[in-house]
Amino acid sequence: MAASLSSAGTVRLLSALARSSLLCSSSGLRGLHVTAACCKNRAARIRIGKGNKPLTYEQALHPHHIGHRKGWLSQHTSNLKGEDGAADRTVEDVFIRRFMFGTFHGFLANEIVLKRRGNVLIVCAIMLQKMLPQKFYFLIGYSESLLSHLYKCPVKLEIQTLVDKAVYKYI
Amino acid sequence: MAAPTALKRELLPLARILGGISHLKPRSLTVCSGHRKCSVTRSCLPLTPSTSFHTATFLSSSPSAITVTEEPDTLFQKLLVSVKSHDSAVLDSYEFFATMAAKELGITIGKVFEPPKDIKRMTLLKSVHIFKKHRVQYEMRTHYRCIELSHITGSTAKVYLEYIQRNLPEGVAMEVKKTAMEKVPDHILKPLWEDVPAEDKPGQ
Repeated sequence: MAASLSSAGTVRLLSALARSSLLCSSSGLRGLHVTAACCKNRAARIRIGKGNKPLTYEQALHPHHIGHRKGWLSQHTSNLKGEDGAADRTVEDVFIRRFMFGTFHGFLANEIVLKRRGNVLIVCAIMLQKMLPQKFYFLIGYSESLLSHLYKCPVKLEIQTLVDKAVYKYI
Repeated sequence: MAAPTALKRELLPLARILGGISHLKPRSLTVCSGHRKCSVTRSCLPLTPSTSFHTATFLSSSPSAITVTEEPDTLFQKLLVSVKSHDSAVLDSYEFFATMAAKELGITIGKVFEPPKDIKRMTLLKSVHIFKKHRVQYEMRTHYRCIELSHITGSTAKVYLEYIQRNLPEGVAMEVKKTAMEKVPDHILKPLWEDVPAEDKPGQ
């Protein structure tokens, strides 16, 4: 919704500016056009570029596709109607994602999927084959035991490895 | 007699692997010897052509003993198992699983129906500060599915429910409503007015 300043209501402003010789130039008065604020959706969207940026399926689809073309990254029952504990689960999820991102820095091929079944917390991740298997096993054991001690519940890591990131499209 | 030799055979490659790994650490500085040691260990370690590390430990539970008691088993007229989730596809597959399990166990299935979904919508401000005209809308959908089983005994119900609940997928919540049948108490078996006329006659 663009409103041009040369409309009737703002003629006084222009004339005042003209008197103070701010807008006065050799060609006379000039109109100034402003638009209303256009708040575009920026949530979980990667802006298009030249065509050289690879995107995974998860990154390529926007959040309004969740439930239709995308799945859920964190599966628990606290967001259902009549269930509570949503805030606690969300905080735990954020911490676990940051922890995994830091422990396996540069090795994650995709977002981490968290599943809660009863008391058990299952962390599913896809890694790249950049490390020796012994180091991988050590890090997996370390994160499992540390997270179990932190959250006082059994935490299992289910890891799959890929050679390269799975590219869905280039943007 | 065969067991110790089998154990020895298993221990030898393990010792080789562990020896190889322990050799790796001090020799990591020299490149050529490190490479040699690397190749030795890789031949010992089982090469996994698959790309998955399965590290989940299996929980081994001791088999529960079958107890026989003299007291009569509780009878349920109706057992209502209702599940709810955000994903209706997950509920479809779970319903198929539960009905198949009930059929295999010989439990009579009353009806399987889908109550209408609940959508919770929230309209929030899109921006942190000002811009009241620009809002963003979120919604949370809860889908339901109900399975009604009729005329089931207490022990069957326990077994069935335990099996169903152990295989509940993540993100699915279950609610069970049991309607039990009880024996009618003795003092209300016969109506009172059958005894009353004998007492009323002296009053008249």
